[in-house]
Amino acid sequence: MSKTFDRFASLAFLVLGVAFVVGSQNISASAYGSNVGPNIFPMGLGSLQILLSLRLFYETFKYKQEGEKEKQKLDYKRFLIILVAALFYVLLLEEIGYVISTFLFLLVGFQTMQKGKWLNSVIISGAFSFGVYLLYVEVLDGTLPGLPTWLGL
Amino acid sequence: MGAIDYLLDGFATALQWQNIIFAFVGVLIGTVVGVLPGIGPISGVALLIPVTASLTSGLPPEAAATSAIILLAGVYYGAMYGGSTTSILLNTPGESSSVVTVLDGYPMAKQGRAGVALSIAAIGSFFAGLVSLVGLVFLAEPLSEVALKLSPADEFSLMILGLCALSGLAGKSVTKALMMTVFGLLIATIGLDNVSGVARFTFDMPELYSGLEFLTIAVGVFALGEVFKTILERDINEGEIAKISRILPTKQDLKESAGPILRGSLVGFFKGIVPGSGATLASFLAYLLEKKISKTPEKFGKGAIAGVAAPESANNAASGGAMIPLLTLGIPGTGTTAVLMGALIMYNVQPGPLLFEDHPSIAWGLIASMFIGNVMLLILNMPLVKVFAKLIETPPKYLIPMIVAISVFGVYAVRVSVFDLVLLLLCGLVGYFLAKNDFPMAPLVLGLVLGPMIENNLRRALTTSNGDFSIFIQKPVSLVFLIIAVLWITVPLIMKMRGKKVIVNEE
Repeated sequence: MSKTFDRFASLAFLVLGVAFVVGSQNISASAYGSNVGPNIFPMGLGSLQILLSLRLFYETFKYKQEGEKEKQKLDYKRFLIILVAALFYVLLLEEIGYVISTFLFLLVGFQTMQKGKWLNSVIISGAFSFGVYLLYVEVLDGTLPGLPTWLGL
Repeated sequence: MGAIDYLLDGFATALQWQNIIFAFVGVLIGTVVGVLPGIGPISGVALLIPVTASLTSGLPPEAAATSAIILLAGVYYGAMYGGSTTSILLNTPGESSSVVTVLDGYPMAKQGRAGVALSIAAIGSFFAGLVSLVGLVFLAEPLSEVALKLSPADEFSLMILGLCALSGLAGKSVTKALMMTVFGLLIATIGLDNVSGVARFTFDMPELYSGLEFLTIAVGVFALGEVFKTILERDINEGEIAKISRILPTKQDLKESAGPILRGSLVGFFKGIVPGSGATLASFLAYLLEKKISKTPEKFGKGAIAGVAAPESANNAASGGAMIPLLTLGIPGTGTTAVLMGALIMYNVQPGPLLFEDHPSIAWGLIASMFIGNVMLLILNMPLVKVFAKLIETPPKYLIPMIVAISVFGVYAVRVSVFDLVLLLLCGLVGYFLAKNDFPMAPLVLGLVLGPMIENNLRRALTTSNGDFSIFIQKPVSLVFLIIAVLWITVPLIMKMRGKKVIVNEE
């Protein structure tokens, strides 16, 4: 159990609870034909969240001192590359189309997971992005952003 | 009409060619999901919701819902079969419900009996699947009839009980589990209120009017959360895979495992019905039970076949048993059934007592298809187990980025919005960090799914009582539910305070 994380989390959830309670003040208090309005439920839940967050905050003081436990080494580099790539992927999806964005994301993803075997990576990402697009758009009549129009194809 | 007639009608639905295919695809993917480490039943089901949504888009609404739920349920119980494969061959459970199988499964594999262990696991799973289905057939009608008599106040309290049951056993800290439950309920209130039509917490953003999509959140916290975990923690096993030689068990093996399979099935089934306990706990209990009543308890841990048969039967029976509260009461008892419920709601099908009356072909079609699916699984898992074992060697290099791509594709196919894709990534991040610090995700999803219904019943009950909250303790049925709910949370707490070890359910 990480004391720091739990403290931050309890504070974040506390803020969230307060936000919902405050926000529910702006919702009209009664609905037609009923004296129980749409504000009751979120307000009650928000208050409950506040109480629970306080409880968790209190609990963090009772955590046993964290020993010199060997910290697990986290692979932040790979993670950040893939996360940023995924972010670009979803933001560019509608701009450059499904096939290109998926192909690029997979290529970056495969190479980040493990370098080398470029040919395999290219073939698999190409097959996946084209395959999914063809199957979904042509066979199942779904909609995905196609190739960008500025390619002039 | 009795249960048997309904069941026969169900078989007529389940035996339509497209439903046979859906069941087959479901159990096949389920087995694969079970075998592949790093992707469990819950993320498997969540990932496949959008895929099934596009596959069934050409069918009429009711048939589409039937086919979709047949496939998704197939993934759920199929994963219970597949989970044992890595436990036995690789000493790493494919998912949490197969954790105990490792204890005796891997030693068996080391003794060269991997094939026997795998086939006993498959036979046990098959038998357990049948036991839980028979229970489902006979309990479904009476339970849903009782459930129909519940007033809004009773239903509200029953759902509170469901939430408390899951939170009480989900993870190490009850406070954290409750926080996640409330968090789920809170984000369920975003969007237009279905009673009054008032916009809540939308900040005039058009994306928020229909509320945060269940699918996006489920795929994010489960599928992407697991992917991030695998990347960050290099959660990649490089152990040696045991060889499979002989597959068919000997007569002696069958004789030794008959009892454990039967007891495991019963334990699992009853554990499954109780909300919140789920397959993991069931397999633990079944294993402990076998060890306790065995004449040779010292053999356990060294390759006793009973130590494979009992937990594997139990986890499969539990997954069948968990369908009972979902279908009859509309209360999912585990994370995976909560995701299944979300899928049904996406098809405008409300699980619960009315399901059997309004949509008998969905309810009974699903039950009948589970019989068929279990037969398929037995066939898939006995002769083809060597093929599935090869899957373990799938390089994570390709698997991990592809899961991200499938998540993005699925969410975009259903929602067609970049907003949801960003939300998806955000949920993955939040899901990973919260889950890593023992904030369980299953209560969040359950809260999200049950939120609108809890609120409806709360407001209907309060309207009849003119805003008087005491209605929930004046109605006897509701009072009983609430008392059980309180006990469910407090009893494990008291046990923990007394220093007893409480087994928690992790999914």
